[in-house]
Amino acid sequence: MTPIIHIVDDDDSFRTAVGRLIASYGFRVAFYESGDQFLTALPTPEPGCIVLDLQLPGLSGSALQERLAETAPLLPIIYLTGEGNIQAGVRAIKAGAEDFLEKPASGEALKEAIDRALLQNERRRAEHDRVHALEALVASLTPRESEVFCQMVRGKRNKQIAYAISTSERTVKAHRHCVMEKLGAKSLAEAVSIAERMGLLDISPKPMRRA
Amino acid sequence: MARQFDDHPGRTSERAFPWDHLHTSTDTVLCSICYYGSVLLGARTFMVCNWKVRSSRIVRSSAAFFFLVLPMLAAGQAVSMEIVGRVPRVLILYPYDERIAATTEAGEAVRNRLREGTAGKVDIFSEFLDLTRFPEKAHVEKMAHFLTDKYRDRRPDVVIALSDESASFIATHRNTVAPGARIVTTGLSRSTAGNIHLPGDVIGVFNKDDIVKTLEMARGLQPKARHLFIIGGSADLDRAWLATARADLADLAKNYETTYLENVTIDEFVQRAARFPPDSIVLALTIFKDSTGRNFIPREAIRQIAATASAPIYGPYPTYIDHGIVGGNMVTFESLGLAVADLALDAIAGNPIVSVDAAPIYIADARQLKRWGLSESDLPAGTVQWFKEKTLWEEHWLAVLTTIAVIAAQGVVIAGLLVERRRRRAAELELRVRLLELVHLNQSATAGALTASIAHELNQPLGAIRSNAEAGELLLRGETPDLNLIKQILVDIKDDDQRAGDIITRLRGLLKKRSEIDWQEFDLNEVIKSAIKILRPEAERRSIVISCSGATDELRVRADRVHIQQVILNLATNAMDAMLDVASTERRLKFQTRLTKGSKVELSISDTGDGIPGEQLVGVFDPFYTTKPTGTGLGLSIARMIVETYAGKIWAGNNPEGGAVIRFNLPLVRSGCVT
Repeated sequence: MTPIIHIVDDDDSFRTAVGRLIASYGFRVAFYESGDQFLTALPTPEPGCIVLDLQLPGLSGSALQERLAETAPLLPIIYLTGEGNIQAGVRAIKAGAEDFLEKPASGEALKEAIDRALLQNERRRAEHDRVHALEALVASLTPRESEVFCQMVRGKRNKQIAYAISTSERTVKAHRHCVMEKLGAKSLAEAVSIAERMGLLDISPKPMRRA
Repeated sequence: MARQFDDHPGRTSERAFPWDHLHTSTDTVLCSICYYGSVLLGARTFMVCNWKVRSSRIVRSSAAFFFLVLPMLAAGQAVSMEIVGRVPRVLILYPYDERIAATTEAGEAVRNRLREGTAGKVDIFSEFLDLTRFPEKAHVEKMAHFLTDKYRDRRPDVVIALSDESASFIATHRNTVAPGARIVTTGLSRSTAGNIHLPGDVIGVFNKDDIVKTLEMARGLQPKARHLFIIGGSADLDRAWLATARADLADLAKNYETTYLENVTIDEFVQRAARFPPDSIVLALTIFKDSTGRNFIPREAIRQIAATASAPIYGPYPTYIDHGIVGGNMVTFESLGLAVADLALDAIAGNPIVSVDAAPIYIADARQLKRWGLSESDLPAGTVQWFKEKTLWEEHWLAVLTTIAVIAAQGVVIAGLLVERRRRRAAELELRVRLLELVHLNQSATAGALTASIAHELNQPLGAIRSNAEAGELLLRGETPDLNLIKQILVDIKDDDQRAGDIITRLRGLLKKRSEIDWQEFDLNEVIKSAIKILRPEAERRSIVISCSGATDELRVRADRVHIQQVILNLATNAMDAMLDVASTERRLKFQTRLTKGSKVELSISDTGDGIPGEQLVGVFDPFYTTKPTGTGLGLSIARMIVETYAGKIWAGNNPEGGAVIRFNLPLVRSGCVT
């Protein structure tokens, strides 16, 4: 599927021109005059990225970036602004922008940035997919299994787990086996990796259910 | 005494000096001549002549001695006056009415001297007896009764009788009109005094005219003269005068070829006078009548003769002066008045008084001296010159000095003002240059503040151009390039280039330096629009929403466009700076125009900042007033200077809904007014 590049810029002529250039690279292009318009037409999660102007009437570029961090975290943002300065650039990158280009940017630089952003997009999408799959697996655990999982990835021995959840060591062993089965983990190390990726190690050892 | 009675001139007209007395029949005739003459010619001139003639009698009679001694004796016997507890009263008796210059002049002199001599502590009464026109005895009696009655409670201490008529009147009625009063008189000769039997205690200032002295004056002036002409009329009075003159001049006349010109008509007088040899002295006596009996006012007859005379004419009367005579030895009425007033003052003071002779003086008419080429230095010592044209300096030295001083002072002031004006002009020019420099400095500062955003704005078209160009390039690399698209791309590139050019132009306009004000007529709306264009990138950067509303008609003003734009930029950047701490959604910069009274257009620029504290509203336009840490405090003061340069006004205020508003106005240019 051809990635779609979303261009958000209030300057008609610039938007059109840069759109033409990007289209000539073989991408699909979508135009938006303002951040609000972009939010309204929040695109389907297709591969692509956003070429965003910093100065926009109404919702500014950075404000839009904040909003998108929640609503469309997978779309990388390339700033293309007439008012680049170090401060604005650092702020944007810190907030997760993929790149920060100044007008008039060369087509080459723009192409590279877009390519990188698309790669990033791809990664994010893959990561997103994987996390999504793992989450489904974790969600399939019973509450008891989930408790055991939380304890075991923290390196607890079966005996300790049994004691903690007031059951027999045998039962813990059985749950543990089921957890390994369900998560498709061949070793404890794999299980720990899964837990780590899902951020389960950062939170309390109490068993928790993911929403 | 008998001799004196016989001498009474009215009765014997062939005798000398008959015209001394108006109560004679001859004098009545004369008087009526005078009266009608006065009606015809204006009473003053004629009557003056009349009075004077009578008062200029030459005394030669042996009886004079008697009358000279008598008053002296009387004066010696006089008891000093007792005036206690009041100011002295003086009654002046005028023989005629108030129009007669001779007596009036003498009377005025009397009056002035009396006031002067008593420091104003004197009661002066005047009575115009008008005896010439009302000589009837019954009437005179009635008048005496009237005056008796009138002055019953204010008896005069001194009576001053002007002329023989007045003297005669008061001498007759002294016991009723002014009992106990001292009587002094003037305007008559000693012989007349004897003729009218003035009592011995009536003291006088008597006239003593002297035709001899007049001739001596003429001799002095014309030492080479060989001929002497003496002119006189045919009236009895004239003849009498001629007779006297003959007697008086007998000795001196021997030195000349002497001619008495008499018994001729006025025309003959004129003709003869016109043919007198140049080395002639002419003495004019009186001409009341010519040989045909025609009546004359003497001085008018003299005037006719003198007008065409070929030799200088002299005469014994001051009234002849200004009628063509060179001068003579004569008595002035003023001197008579002063002298008689002195007598009165002495009487009041209780001093003994005696009769005196009025001192005749030499009087000359400076114009006549000039006419005949006579030398001033040949005049007798003490001669008074009348009508002497003083030099401007002599006559008006004070005025001349004052004028010169005033002109000099004015000159100094004018010079000072000119210098001041020059310095002021220079200062104004300097100020103008300074203002322009200041404005340019301010422009640069504004440009500096806005350049970043303007430069960024420039990136829009530049970026678009680049992208378009690269896109076109790529398209052309394809196998089947979309030529329509390429064409569109080229059009867009052109447009963007134009846009970039406009931005550069604006930036240049912002920095344009003026060495002179470039007066132009322009639409204020256009300048506002262009200012907004310059401001917009910066405003966008700061999330400020700019709006513009108001009059859409053309608002023509006359000023330097760059300057007015600078005012707008100053006010707007101030407004934008004032909104730094405001929530970004609440930053609004509003431009509003409206037409106001007096054909002015007003632009208001308001923000949504914190506004200006009330106590600072007045001072915001002062130089160096600033609230910004980096501000120079010159923006608003320069704005005011510019606006005032173009006859506008600027003031600051706050919006009721918050934020400051700065307004300024400029006069509108009337349509059709082209410069």
